[in-house]
Amino acid sequence: MNALVLRLGFYAAIAAPFVAVALAEHAFLVQVAIGIAVSAILALAWDILSRTGQVSLGHAAFFGMGGYGSALLTPVLGPVLGWTAGLLLCGAVAVLLGAVTLRLRRLYFTIATLSFSLSIQVFILVTPDLTGGSTGIMPPVLAGGSPPHQLLFITGCLVAAAVVSDVFLGARFRPAFFMIRNNPHLAAASGVPVTRLKILAFAVSGMVAGLAGACYAGLYGYVIPDDVFTTNWNVLPLAVTILGGMDTTLGPVVGAVALRLLEEVARHVVGGVGYQVVYGAVIILFIVGMPAGLVGFARGLLRRRKAPARSDGAKARLAS
Amino acid sequence: MSGLRVEGCTVAFGGLRAIDNVTLAIPDGTITALIGPNGSGKSTFVNMVSGQIPPAAGRILLGGDAITGLRPDRIVHRGLARTYQVPKVPKELTIEEVISVPLLYARSERPLPPGVRGAADLARYCGLRPAVSTRCGQLSVSDLRRLEIARALACRPDVLLLDESMAGLGVEDTEQVIALVREIHASGVTVLVIEHVMRIIAKLCRHAIVLNQGRLLAEGEPQRVLTDGQVREAYLGKGFTL
Amino acid sequence: MTTAAVLQAVILSLTVAALYAAVAAGLTLTVGVTRIINFAHGEFVMLGAFLTYGLHTRWGVSPWLGMAASGVALGLLSALVYRLFLARVLKQDEHNQLLATLGLSILLLNIAVILWSPDPRVMQAPALMPPLRLGAVTVPGNNVAVALVGLLLFLAMLWIKNHTRYGTQMRFASDDPELALHAGINVDRVFELSFVIGGAAAGVSGGLVALVLYVQPSVGVDLVIRAFAIIALGGLGNIPGALMGAAILALVEGLVSTFVPQGGSWGFGVAFLLLLLVLVVRPSGLFGKQVQA
Repeated sequence: MNALVLRLGFYAAIAAPFVAVALAEHAFLVQVAIGIAVSAILALAWDILSRTGQVSLGHAAFFGMGGYGSALLTPVLGPVLGWTAGLLLCGAVAVLLGAVTLRLRRLYFTIATLSFSLSIQVFILVTPDLTGGSTGIMPPVLAGGSPPHQLLFITGCLVAAAVVSDVFLGARFRPAFFMIRNNPHLAAASGVPVTRLKILAFAVSGMVAGLAGACYAGLYGYVIPDDVFTTNWNVLPLAVTILGGMDTTLGPVVGAVALRLLEEVARHVVGGVGYQVVYGAVIILFIVGMPAGLVGFARGLLRRRKAPARSDGAKARLAS
Repeated sequence: MSGLRVEGCTVAFGGLRAIDNVTLAIPDGTITALIGPNGSGKSTFVNMVSGQIPPAAGRILLGGDAITGLRPDRIVHRGLARTYQVPKVPKELTIEEVISVPLLYARSERPLPPGVRGAADLARYCGLRPAVSTRCGQLSVSDLRRLEIARALACRPDVLLLDESMAGLGVEDTEQVIALVREIHASGVTVLVIEHVMRIIAKLCRHAIVLNQGRLLAEGEPQRVLTDGQVREAYLGKGFTL
Repeated sequence: MTTAAVLQAVILSLTVAALYAAVAAGLTLTVGVTRIINFAHGEFVMLGAFLTYGLHTRWGVSPWLGMAASGVALGLLSALVYRLFLARVLKQDEHNQLLATLGLSILLLNIAVILWSPDPRVMQAPALMPPLRLGAVTVPGNNVAVALVGLLLFLAMLWIKNHTRYGTQMRFASDDPELALHAGINVDRVFELSFVIGGAAAGVSGGLVALVLYVQPSVGVDLVIRAFAIIALGGLGNIPGALMGAAILALVEGLVSTFVPQGGSWGFGVAFLLLLLVLVVRPSGLFGKQVQA
């Protein structure tokens, strides 16, 4: 019972700042908070997959598919079914793509996701009757177009994404995922169906990314392919997660906030084009200097404060 | 017949035959040694039987059923587990978490050893002294070896392959692991010990199989096999005289 | 679709293939030896392209010299990147290494965007060599030059790997770094060298890119995707396989863009679909050995 209360408290703590901004109805802050929430959802999606050691450079594809899918299916099926169908589409594509590429060297998966996300725009462009082509589509607007209400809805989606992330950090999945990442042979030798679990992670990851995309597409009532299928959405979840802390639920949220701050600074200094240089700098600096991210670093400090250093015989270099 | 059977198996890497048309049988309930000089194919044998490297030719039977070409995790489900010589585990996972993986995923109907009900018990059973909440990054070499045995046991196997689980351990640790292996065997598990320390073989096993250059060289009681002329030649080279 | 048109498309594609092969060869050398997947390799090529372009456009430097300068410059940059950054990342696991070179790629790409804007440029260079007439097909002089230099670069990589002392050390160090260390090989130096050679090759390839493609910050990403697709086709570490892979990819791309309506906008689609197709059928590449995930 205690654990459940703590969990709920955790989700409330994540939602609280966003809810506070929505209630304050400060126009600029609401827009910023919406952006941060969408980034956080996308980053959570990316991290879920990253825990199995697979680096996706193609999450923009799922982001876009979720946006387009929900936009095209909602007029036909209504909002609930339309969004569900959009998310299931993302999941299905992930399963298909994953079935082919997750059995291979990790590098090939990364390349496949990158080229997939860069090629998917072609599909949109050659099916203008179905998808609006290069002129775009007009998705139904979320929450009647009221930004504070949109923010509340998206915060709800963020909490949902956090719950999903926590499921995969639970006892059933976390050790198995980490083992798959660190030593897939050991995982298989422990009875883990490695490829199947990776496909599961990819499908869930794709669906959560689709959720972020659906939220984003519903903001202004108009979306063109270039809004969603860009490199920006491929790279953003990496930078956010590495900055905030991989393998955690709090990390992507904290990272989304921190990166947004850094982005503002970069935009000021460099202008509207090329400010993503801060993404590259963040990734490099943190992987080399603080691989556990802000959250991991903070946790490490707390841990060292609780338990004084133990000298444990010969520390092994075998555990890596 | 039950136990592990290998029939005419070959594993080739390019032109090199790491396992060359090997046929052997490990009867149910026995504890056997697999020995041979460096490069004789012992580790490749373990990788082959456990499904990590499928044989180019031949059959592998576990408890009478063919397991040739099955994925390693399926072979674990069928009841065969192996340890790794150099265990590489995620350093952020705890002892308990590592052992929990096979407990959750190995799907075996065999029971755990008597008196063992979960990961913590299994860790104690294997002689792990640190608390089960200790992360792997903090463990010593000997602890990691024991953890690896505990992990393999958590697969609840009928057949256990121990790949040089005692290499590099001190005298006391080695004795303890020998005792542990005896207990595992006594609880009904068929054990294949891959080792090259003769003292350990002699203490543990009634039957030894010698590999050399991927081929079966000799089989029999350890004392007899170790004094066999061909075996000595394989280890020490031609023309070596004592 | 006259035979001449098809032939023209094919021959031109082959010159591009030589370019792709040179890029892929440098990359597969580095990856094969250090096992670090250097995503920033594409950006090294891009920087070489900008340097050759800039030298020619600003100071009228001949592209021959520009290419050589790019090779040297990128070789030096690679050494710097290795010492400051990659040597540290080598201690981390594969997952983090990939992320680190990705970060470098993003950093370099955006620095280029900031300095030079994202717009494409074309280097107006006079033909470096006379055009080649093969029956009804005419190959422009610069394409001939690219094909030649590309092939030379490619052969140089092959020669270094198979016929020099460093090449032997590289192969040893890549198979078993610990054993190589005990054998007295300065593994760190060997890794750095392979990185520098790969970087220099990237620089020269950049010059080739400036000659026949376009000069733009995003050209690196374009190329690195194709380079990895080629490596997948040819098998990791397999340099001759990269040549076959490059030829296949360039041919398919060239034919699609010439003869399929709207084929030009397919861009990566071709590389991607081809890659998927090959990997489904033969996961170790068309010419590679069995690889474990």
